[in-house]
Formats: sequence, structure tokens, C-alpha cells
Amino acid sequence: MFETLQNLGHGFAIAASPGVLVYAFAGCVIGTLVGMLPGVGPLAGISLLLPASYGLSATTALVMLAGIYYGAMYGGSTTSILMRIPGEAASVMTCIDGYAMTRKGRAGPALAIAAVGSYIAGTASIVGLMLLAPPLAAFALSFGPSEYVALLLLGLTVLAYMSGGSVPKSLAMAALGLLLGMIGIDPMSGYFRFSYGLVELGDGIGIVPVAVGLFGVSEILLTAGQAETPQVIKPKLRDLLPSREEWRDAAGPVGRGTILGFLIGIVPGSAHIIASFVSYAVERRVSKHPERFGHGAVEGVAGPESANNSATSGALVPMLALGVPSGPIPAVMMAAMMVHGVSPGPMLIQQQPELFWGVIASMYVGNLVLLILNLPLVGLFVNLLRIPYPLLYPAILVFSVVGVYAVNGSVVDVWIMAVMGALGYLLRKLDFETAPIVLGLVLAPMLEMSLRQALALSSGSYAIFVTRPISASMLCVALALLLLSLRPLVARGADWRRRLGLLEGPVVGEEEKR
Amino acid sequence: MKRRDLVVLLVCVLAMPLIAQAQDFPTRPINVVAPFPPGGQADLMARPTAAAMEKILKSPVVVVNKTGAAGAVGMAFVANSKPDGYTLLMALSSISIIPEADKLFDRKPAYTMDQLVPIALVSADPTILVCRSERPWKSVKELVDDAKKRPEGISYSSSGIYGTLHMAMEMLIHSAGIKMKHVPYGGAAPALTALLGGHVDCMASGPAVVLPHIKAGKLRPLAGWGEKRLAVLPELPTLKELGYDAEFYIWAGMFAPKGTPEPIMKKLRDTVRAAMQDPDFKAALDKMETPIAYLDAPEFQKFWDKDAKMLADAIKRVGKIEETK
Amino acid sequence: MLTRDRVGGVALLLFAVVVMWEDRAFPLGSVTKPGPGYMPMLLAGILAAMALLVIWTGGRSPALGSLGWSEWRHAVAILAGCVFAALALERIGYRLTVILLVAFLLWVVERKRPVVTMAVALGLSLGTFYVFSTLLKVPLPLGPGEF
Repeated sequence: MFETLQNLGHGFAIAASPGVLVYAFAGCVIGTLVGMLPGVGPLAGISLLLPASYGLSATTALVMLAGIYYGAMYGGSTTSILMRIPGEAASVMTCIDGYAMTRKGRAGPALAIAAVGSYIAGTASIVGLMLLAPPLAAFALSFGPSEYVALLLLGLTVLAYMSGGSVPKSLAMAALGLLLGMIGIDPMSGYFRFSYGLVELGDGIGIVPVAVGLFGVSEILLTAGQAETPQVIKPKLRDLLPSREEWRDAAGPVGRGTILGFLIGIVPGSAHIIASFVSYAVERRVSKHPERFGHGAVEGVAGPESANNSATSGALVPMLALGVPSGPIPAVMMAAMMVHGVSPGPMLIQQQPELFWGVIASMYVGNLVLLILNLPLVGLFVNLLRIPYPLLYPAILVFSVVGVYAVNGSVVDVWIMAVMGALGYLLRKLDFETAPIVLGLVLAPMLEMSLRQALALSSGSYAIFVTRPISASMLCVALALLLLSLRPLVARGADWRRRLGLLEGPVVGEEEKR
Repeated sequence: MKRRDLVVLLVCVLAMPLIAQAQDFPTRPINVVAPFPPGGQADLMARPTAAAMEKILKSPVVVVNKTGAAGAVGMAFVANSKPDGYTLLMALSSISIIPEADKLFDRKPAYTMDQLVPIALVSADPTILVCRSERPWKSVKELVDDAKKRPEGISYSSSGIYGTLHMAMEMLIHSAGIKMKHVPYGGAAPALTALLGGHVDCMASGPAVVLPHIKAGKLRPLAGWGEKRLAVLPELPTLKELGYDAEFYIWAGMFAPKGTPEPIMKKLRDTVRAAMQDPDFKAALDKMETPIAYLDAPEFQKFWDKDAKMLADAIKRVGKIEETK
Repeated sequence: MLTRDRVGGVALLLFAVVVMWEDRAFPLGSVTKPGPGYMPMLLAGILAAMALLVIWTGGRSPALGSLGWSEWRHAVAILAGCVFAALALERIGYRLTVILLVAFLLWVVERKRPVVTMAVALGLSLGTFYVFSTLLKVPLPLGPGEF
């Protein structure tokens, strides 16, 4: 323990040196700005600035890239809350209750709680990273295909808790999302599925155009022509800060979201978006007022935002401890390290302590910087809402188009955004939820590949799922959750159903019938 | 005499625009397309090369990432672009695989190999066979013998079906006459993760990413697919030495669309040749522990043809997996 | 009775059937060795089952006629704008596309004054181009005359 603190102190000395501090700050600022742009998320931000980092020293480069990474997570919540456009894929869940809070005039508190929750989650998860990196990483490696299948099935059963409306409708949307995830090259057999000759669809439909289209563009399509455009509630300073009750309500979700996000982030291959989905569902399940979700529940903002911030630290655990990239973003950071001659691997912490501890210390500093940056900006952002909607939405549309295009430089993505926008419009008109589509799209490729890999390894035997301890236990939990969610459908008594939010009624994200 | 002079004069006059082109070239920034995401192998090769070329040409050379479909999007983009020397491709050995795979599935190919003309080979890393150090096999022979005793008992991971790592293993499997279980993953990084986690028994991998794990004692290298031994692992035998007919490199080379005028091609080749000598370039590749393996266009074309044929054979042998079982 | 849920359910059912039809090109494999066509078929089946459930319980949802479509004109115009952007982006370049898109939205759809329209259109187009292309080095397509 003492040695850890000593190392940390050494790390702080490095992180606080002006050369490194400047880049940490720059990374955070760039990350926030990049995160705020619709669709452009941490991966795009890091990829764009990767070449610029080649000229820096290894530690400085990594500090800057890490700053962009978690900075983007902070920034992503801003557009989600203010305009219901996901700033990046993981902020999709924040759109739902965050925007509802904005409509109720609570935009300021939503932004503030998102920022504070992100800070607490970010800082706490770094402690986990610092102290537990090697053993956690070893645990993460033990996740094989069958464990992934169990984990992803668990993620899907969580869907049943996410919905406020009818379960068949949500499951239908999930199935739709899963089907959309089937488009592209099948890595197990080499077939191009459902791509109709478009090479760009080889990797499937991107999550970014779908999220931006389904949430952001559909919102514009629904709102722009309304007789009364969204009323701009002029915020008073008092209204910019969360009430005591809101702080109290947010405390639990932040704590749970932190732990949940960190654990999910560690698992190689999982996406941040899974962390925010699971957090949302958990909060809804444990809340005493589940009917508030979808209409501006603070828990629906605090939980997912904390989860996706602590998932970034979680994602760095396998990378720093073992040299194993747990996703595309850590992979890019590893490439940055390799370019500087630092080989990421199991010996990294021992061989390059200045790098490791310097980065850790800079993450503490960076999170603090972001909190200080974001809180005063809350007032500024809320004032953005005072722009009359007819002038605002063309700007949002332009940012959406360029954000979606910027990810891959492909016009196909813009088309997907337009199509998903139209689809989202129709679905919301017909009272279908759109969030399960996004979850399905993310989970489908992973689920299918892991299933077929597991079967390939076991030569076709399904026993592998129950003989391996981790996957067996997760499957049991999934089954239990599924049965629990179905119980109210069996039990008599409308108040049971109402309590669990499974009764037909206002759908997640809809406050008024359009 | 006079007529010949006239002919020479005519030729010179007609060639002037071409020469002028070559002299002026480049007047705009050159785009080098890397068909993989930033941080990937193509990208890591393209950037130092582009930087060195920029110094020599005194004109901007920009790396553009066009990702998708295991590189097919970027490769097709360059294959179909104007052959004016301003759009180049830094491709990996998978360039030969994709059209073959398309043929296998009766798909309209995204591009064909004769749409691209090689400029130069920049690096060629042979793949190496690695297994976890807990596994009992200390040499390729032990692995092969074990595989013969239990067909399909040993598993290997790869970056995806018909990918470079899959094809490399295929050549060894075919040459040794064994059967192994193939577990494809969505990329080289997940494949390596699976190996490190002990979910598969071995894999073929590019040397740079596994070197730290070998040094840390987590992975054991068994053999290399190169013609010569690796400089970073001099005790590692090559498969050719051990008697297997398997040679495979993950190479990176620069290409231009077919039809690029000869003077421009010459200038590009000269530039890349000079770039290989650039000290910054050498230092960058050194840091990545990737040796420079330069081949100029004619030799590269021969190398490419040979490599493409080997891969085509391997792909045809594997066939569509649904039919082999 | 045409209710919202019923319409939605029928549409989803049709989609599921189309997917199943398209999926026949891919080998299904077996339960122990699923082929590329397996998952899509399974998922389409689940979608169809859910769609049927939705149709069956759909009688309780509000009638289709009660849907308000008052904003449809704006929605169609905006969507047309998005389609235009997708078509024009790589043909006439980014800046020109944005100017035309914003001008269309502000002048034609929202009936704002020409001065305001031009100011916002130019500002958005040039401003975002600067941020993305110059600052962030994202390659945005250029139009005629390298504009």
C-alpha cells in the first residue's frame, strides 16, 4: 500500500509538470468538444489526434489521448441532455431522461448531476484501476466465448427492465436491432450478409449513424413542425443547480453506476454503451418510483453517465496491466505507445512505472479539470436553448450530418442516419421505443460470434455453457432476472405491474402523445 | 537523317507534357489511403512513410484512413480513383486475399488486383507461431505430432476467416497434413486476447505485438514463417528449416491505380526509395521493432504475384467452410 | 379496427418475412454448427412472434386515426433535406451542400428573412468546415473549384 502511494506521488510529480499538464488539459478540452459534437465520439477524437501525438513523448501522448477519451464521455452528455442527440454512442441512454428533464426546465441540474456523477465515477474508478489492475485484468482474460454469450444474454434480459411500455413491443424492437446487427461480413464464414453490393456495409451498420438518426433526427422530425415549438424556460441561477432532493436521488445511482461501469468496462470487447444500458435498467429496477423513468428521473441521468465514465477506466485496465486491448479505443492507444517504442505488455507497469503512474495521476487531474470546466459551462449551455427552435434545428442537423460523416468519411453513413431518422419518426409515432434497437445493434454481432466460437471450441456441444463456472453463474442470474420480470404478467393485480413499470402506458421517452 | 530528326523532335514535343507533369508533380497534396483504422498496421506503416516522402518531395503527403470490410473499402477506393498519382494506397498482404474471397463467394469483386500497380514494398514481417507457455509443446514437431494423434484437438485463433493469420496457419496445416480447430475472431487483437486467456491453444501472429508477451514468459514462440530467421528472435527456427512448405509475410506496400503515367510512377518510386534511407523513418520503424524490407516495383511485382498465388491456392483449398464439414 | 399497435405489428411482421426470404441465400447450418443464415432466421422468427403478439394485444391501443400528423409537412421537408445532403455531399462538396440545405430549411420551410437565412447558412457552412476540416483535420469533400 505504501509503495502504491509512493508511486502515485511520483506519478503526480510527473503529471503536475507543466509539459504534461498542458497536454492533459488540451486533451480534456478537445475531448469535451469532440464529445459534444453529435456522433463524433472518443474513438473518432482519438483517431483524429493520433498523428498529432506522434511528436510528443510517450507519457505525454498517452496522457493527452486518455484526456480525450474520458473528456469525450463528459462532453457526450451535453448534447444528449439539451437536444436529445447522442453526443456519442454511449450517451444514448442519457438522451431519454436527460432531455425530459430539459423539457421540464431542469436542464441545468441534469447537466450538473451528469458532470458531478462523471467526476465521482471517473475518480473512483481510477482508484480501482490503480490498485486492482493486475488481478482484475487476469480475471478479464478468463472471459472466453461462452462467458461472453452468458454476459450478453444477461444484457438482453436487462432489456425487460428498461421498458416502460409493453414488453412484446420492446422485445420486437430489440429483435429489430439484433437483425440490423446481422448486416455485414460474417467473420465466421466470410459471407457478406444483407449488404446488397455496398462494400461500405461490410462492417455492418454503424452505431453512430443509427444512434444520431434514431434519437436526434427523429426528434427534429417530430418537433420542427409542431404548432408550439419547445418553450424556452429562461433559467434563473437557482434553477441551474440541482435541488437537495435531486442530489439525494442521484447519490445511489452514481455509486451503483460507478461499480457497474467499471466491471463492464474491464471485460474485453464490451462497449461503453452496454454499461449505460445496464445502469439504466438497474436504476429502474431498484427505484421506488419506476414510473418516473422516461419523464425526467434524475436516476436515469446519474446512473448511465457515471457508468460510462467509469467504464473508460475499466477499459484501460486490461490494456495497461496486460497489454490486451479491450476495445478499439485502447487498441489505438496501444498503437500510440508502440509508435513511441513502448511495448504494451504484462511488464509495462514494472518496466515503465513513470508512464503508468504518470497516466494514472493525470487521469485524476484530468477528471478534476473536466469538472471545473463543465460546471460553469452549464449556464452557458442552457442559454443555448434560448435560440429559437426554427433557427436551432438546422444547426443541429448540420452538426449531425458532419458528425456522422466524419466518423468514416462515408456518405453511406449519412444515408443510414436519414433512414433511421425516418424510421425513428414512424416508430415513435406508433409508440414503439427506440432504445432497444440500439442495444440490439450493439449486442448482435458480439452475441452471434461468441456463440459460434463457443460451439466451435466445444465441437458443437452446448454443455460448455453450463460446465464453465463463470458462464453458468451468469446464465443463472439472467434466467432469474427473466423470470422475475415475467412474474407480474402472471400475478394478478394491476398495482404489481404498475410498480414494476410494466403496465401499458406512457412509453419511455414520450411525455405527450404526439 | 532529317526524317529521323523530325521524329525525335515530335516525340520530344509530345513527351513534354508528360515530362512537365513529372517535373511539376506534385502540385497538390498527395493522399495515401490506409484502409485500416488509425493505429492499425497499415496506418502505422503509412505515417512514417508519408512523413519521409513529404520531406523529400517538399510537398504535403497526407494519410487518409478509409476503413471498412477488412480493408476492401479503402482498396476499392484507390483502385477506382483517378490515376494521376495523387491517390496512393498503403496496403497489407490482405490485398491479395479479398478479390480471391470474392471469387469464392461469386461476389462482384470490390476491386481486382490488376487495377493496382505496385510502387514499392516497405516492410515484410513473417508471422510466427506462438502458444501459451503452459502448453506442453516445445517445438513445432511436438505440436504436429500431437495434432496427428488427436485431429481437431488443437485449436488456433485468427483475425477472421480468410484473413492473413488464418491463411498462414492454413499453409502450415496443409504442409504438415494435420487437422486443427479454427476459431475465428474479429481481428488480430481479440485473437491474441483469446490466446492469452488460454481459450485457444495457439495462433499465427505478427511478431511485434507478441514480442512483449514472449519476453514476459507468457507466450512461447515455436517457429517463423519467414525465409530467414527473425532478427529479434534469432533462436527461432523457420518452418522452411523444419521442412514445412510454408512462407508467409504480413507485408506493407505502396500502390497506385493502374494507368498512372510512367514519369509520375518513376518519381514516386524514387521518392519511396529515398524515404527508406531517411533517418527519421528508420528510427520510427526501429521503435516499432519492424525491420525495413524494401523492394522496388519490379521485384515487388514478382513478390506480390508469388504471394498472391500462394494465398489464392490456400483460399481455394479452404473453400467455403459450409461445404467442407 | 386499425389501431396504432396493429399497424406497427403488421409492418414488423412483413419486415420479418422479407428478412426470412432474403436469408434463404445463406446456408443455415445446424443447431450445433450455426451457419451464416442461422441467426438472422432465428431473429426474424422472434421478431415475427413478437409482432404477432403485438397485433393480438393491439386492440387496446389508440386508433390509428387519432394520430396527429400535423407536423408531417415539416418532417417530409427536413427528411428531403437529409436525402439531398447525402446525395450532394460528395458531388458538390460540403460547404455548398450545407449552404443549400440550411437556406432551404430556413427560407422555404421556416419562412425566415433572406438576410437571416444567408447569414446563418454561410455562418454554419464555413464555421463547421473550419472546425472540422481545418482544426480537426477531418477530410470533408470539396466541391467544384475546390470549394
